[in-house]
Amino acid sequence: MQAEMNEWQQAGRIDVHNHVGGEGGIGRLGGELDRRRAEGLLARAEKLDIDFLCVSAPLTTDSPTPDEVRRVNDVVLQAMELSDRFLGFCFLNPGYAREALEEMERCIVDGGMVGVKLYHQYFVCDPVQAPMMERAAELQAPVLMHAGKVTDAATRARQPRLSNAVHFVKAGEMFPDTQLIQGHIGGGGDWEWNLRVLENCPNNVYIDTSGSVIDAGIVDRTVATLGVERVLFATDGILEEGVGKVLEADLDEVDRARILAGNARDILTRRNG
Amino acid sequence: MMSLTLPELFDINTTVGHWPFRKIPHQTPGALRQVLEKAGIRGAAVANTHGLFYKNCHDANLELAVWLAPHGEFFSGVATLNPLYAAWERDLRACREELGFCAMRLVPQYHGYELGCREAVAMAQAATELSLPLLVPHRVVDVRQRHGFDTERTIGIDEIGALCAAVPQARVIATEANFSGRALIDAEGGFRYPGLYLESSRVDLGSFPEAVAAERILFGTGAPFKHLQPAILKLEIAALESPSRERIGRRNGRELLGFS
Repeated sequence: MQAEMNEWQQAGRIDVHNHVGGEGGIGRLGGELDRRRAEGLLARAEKLDIDFLCVSAPLTTDSPTPDEVRRVNDVVLQAMELSDRFLGFCFLNPGYAREALEEMERCIVDGGMVGVKLYHQYFVCDPVQAPMMERAAELQAPVLMHAGKVTDAATRARQPRLSNAVHFVKAGEMFPDTQLIQGHIGGGGDWEWNLRVLENCPNNVYIDTSGSVIDAGIVDRTVATLGVERVLFATDGILEEGVGKVLEADLDEVDRARILAGNARDILTRRNG
Repeated sequence: MMSLTLPELFDINTTVGHWPFRKIPHQTPGALRQVLEKAGIRGAAVANTHGLFYKNCHDANLELAVWLAPHGEFFSGVATLNPLYAAWERDLRACREELGFCAMRLVPQYHGYELGCREAVAMAQAATELSLPLLVPHRVVDVRQRHGFDTERTIGIDEIGALCAAVPQARVIATEANFSGRALIDAEGGFRYPGLYLESSRVDLGSFPEAVAAERILFGTGAPFKHLQPAILKLEIAALESPSRERIGRRNGRELLGFS
């Protein structure tokens, strides 16, 4: 842990939201870690000076079983063995409360992962999240969730339980000791609406900058809303977009460095257990 | 970071004018030119956003010509016309011969037609006879965040490909598209649509063989709607030889618009 903390201290860029996958592809079940793809990700990240990548392997199905959850987290553990530049986030289905807590022990306490990744199986403020959120608070492990405020009918139909800022504000109040990261302000959807809601959010709600949306001003507006301390650099696998929009944001270099690595470092070094 | 010397860049995909659904910075030619030049971009093709919304969209072309006049050769005007509207034939000729525009934009998702319709094909043929390449946006903004009054429709490769097939001599530049090499290259390694080109901002350069990328891809940013740096980074770090990078970054766009 101390050695890891020393490396994190030197990091210039920590991507808090990225993914690895098994041989079945990202977001799908299937096989061992796709090493070629993972190595390709590391090479691309190196070209953009990304020192560490927080990776998960979430499933997008309605109710992944505990066995399916274990299998995808095994892929993340394999990625961590491949390179210590991968920092693992364990995917959980809170609908299986006992198994989710067991998986946190396996992956975070014993396995060295640094956070929890949730997808759209439940809203972030659903009471079913409580046992996992409380344990995450005890471990000081951040909880990152796929999120967005989509306005097109097709995406709404595919993701009926996609959490947006309203859900995160509520979750921040329900789980005040848990560090919540709203995924990808640029992940598609009305980011302006999300930011307007977040104008009054609890201090334990953070946001990451990832996503393919690189609308001019998106990072500036995010910083203006939450303050620079709660904005985290990330790419969600879309690397040039992720790096480019932060480099172009109207920030002084101290604030840019905070977003690129400093804020992530603060969160990751709080972890205990 | 791997840091290569980029060529002076020419941006095939910029716009000016007011967008009604979100406050966009740098909407005027002067402001846009400042941010482009700061990023190392030395010229740009530019269309008027108002052309999406004016019923008589030639008014947007006339506006654009006035706005661009103080900027000399930095900006190359792109006409926006609707093949379903009256007098498009005269407007097209005026855009070329009187306003000096270098390309024409077709926006079927805003003007209510299919690219394969008789009128669109006729306009594409007429533009081609005037040596005007055609810009076709796959989308203007990400439809997942669209305003309720904005269109959800995107223009896919099948529809664009059908236009290319209907007007084989046309040079069609798909902008804001993320079509991959897998979709565009046939089993023999040839490009499926001989007249098709791609603006780079959403393209995965690595999905194309270098020879194809160097011939078919044109640097673009989508400014001022989008940040410029992602498109510049893409070109900077792509595994390309310098001549290919120079072609994509500058030459392809300028050649298609008729500049040496």
